[in-house]
Amino acid sequence: MSEKLDAYLEEISHFLSGRAEREEILSEIRSHILEKAAAEQGQATDSAIQAAITAYGPARKVAEKYLDGRPIIAPAYKRYLFRYTTLLFAVHAILTVVAVVFKKNFVIFPFLFMPRLGVIEALMYLPTAFLADLGFVALVLYFITQSGKEVKLPWPKFAVDLDEVKPPKQGFLAGRIATLLGLIVMVAVTDFALYLFIRYQTIFFVNLDFSDPTPLFTPEAGRRLSLIVIAMFAVSTFTLLVKVFTRSRWVDAGSSAVSLVLIGLLLSQPFESLFAVSIPEKVLPKIKFGAKFALLFIAVMITVDLIKNLVIIGRRRLERSILSSSGPPHV
Amino acid sequence: MTDPTIGSLETEMNRGFLQILVLALLEKDMYGYFMVKHIEGLGYKVEENTLYPLLRRLEKNGWIASKWDVSQDRPRKFYTVTPEGRAMRRGLLDVWKNQNRILGKIIKETTDV
Repeated sequence: MSEKLDAYLEEISHFLSGRAEREEILSEIRSHILEKAAAEQGQATDSAIQAAITAYGPARKVAEKYLDGRPIIAPAYKRYLFRYTTLLFAVHAILTVVAVVFKKNFVIFPFLFMPRLGVIEALMYLPTAFLADLGFVALVLYFITQSGKEVKLPWPKFAVDLDEVKPPKQGFLAGRIATLLGLIVMVAVTDFALYLFIRYQTIFFVNLDFSDPTPLFTPEAGRRLSLIVIAMFAVSTFTLLVKVFTRSRWVDAGSSAVSLVLIGLLLSQPFESLFAVSIPEKVLPKIKFGAKFALLFIAVMITVDLIKNLVIIGRRRLERSILSSSGPPHV
Repeated sequence: MTDPTIGSLETEMNRGFLQILVLALLEKDMYGYFMVKHIEGLGYKVEENTLYPLLRRLEKNGWIASKWDVSQDRPRKFYTVTPEGRAMRRGLLDVWKNQNRILGKIIKETTDV
């Protein structure tokens, strides 16, 4: 028997694993290919079998024709995947902020476990939480789909519906001009920051007298913080530059992700012996709290933006896949 | 095929047609490869890897029956229509005739206009 035929059937068998009638299906295909090879080439030689196999089609496609067409999540429920994930993640994000601010942990077994988190840990935790929420909602929708029951899923009317996210109203040209203007401003800001850094090794000053500037931070801290802030400016500049050519939401998502990392770096800098100027002892904790709160707030806003972009990207892909797979079901 | 966009729509139309075709064809016992060649001879092409899953579905529904013949050099699986399959074929042919009638009527109306 042809090794090629055995290998082909083995491959089909792999994709059909778990089906009770697998052996019978393989026997039918084997019989057909041998029959065809012998009938069309005189006898079932290796080359004749190979020709018959090629005509029969790739193993995965052959196997797929036997597989149950029931989707993992029914098309009617697909939009709820991102709707519910968005809501669940919003709750998760709020609880994360509460956990950080009040230094508490939350456990709602088996749905939620949120240990006491520091700021950096919280920033690392949020993307993981989003994936867990997405997985949880997907699992629920999977079970609903597999049950075959008609379940009308609730969706509050007041909730933000990402289905209705409209494309920007401004024209294509106007949008580009706005992006270009933003780019010019950001290039100027980044260049100016770079100029200050090269000249003074910091971009943070107490006074604006550049003939005799007084740095706000100690040399080492000033250098580190300046580099991080300049990197943030550079990311914004680069993002605007790319957005002149494309409106892809991946650009925004990528920019948000990098910005989050940079904010995480800022937050991880030691606060002690940071200032080069004298600051009253009583005021110092308030500045520390204010700075951390402001950065955390910015981080949450960026995270929300990141998730929004990812959700919209996901929804658009979903719509494309629904449109491309629409059509009457198999009888 | 003249218009490549017809391809996917033709595939959808073929699904129903192929079922009636097979139920009609299996009034005589036939094995898969013979069916493919026979249908080809009638001027219609059926993909081999589509035919066998279809036969399996029809058999699962009890509309056709099958048995292996191992008396020859190569084992062949023969299929035949069952009484339930014949009843189903009559029903499907009625549907098809009705669709054909409606379509013919509309085409005639629009051509007259």
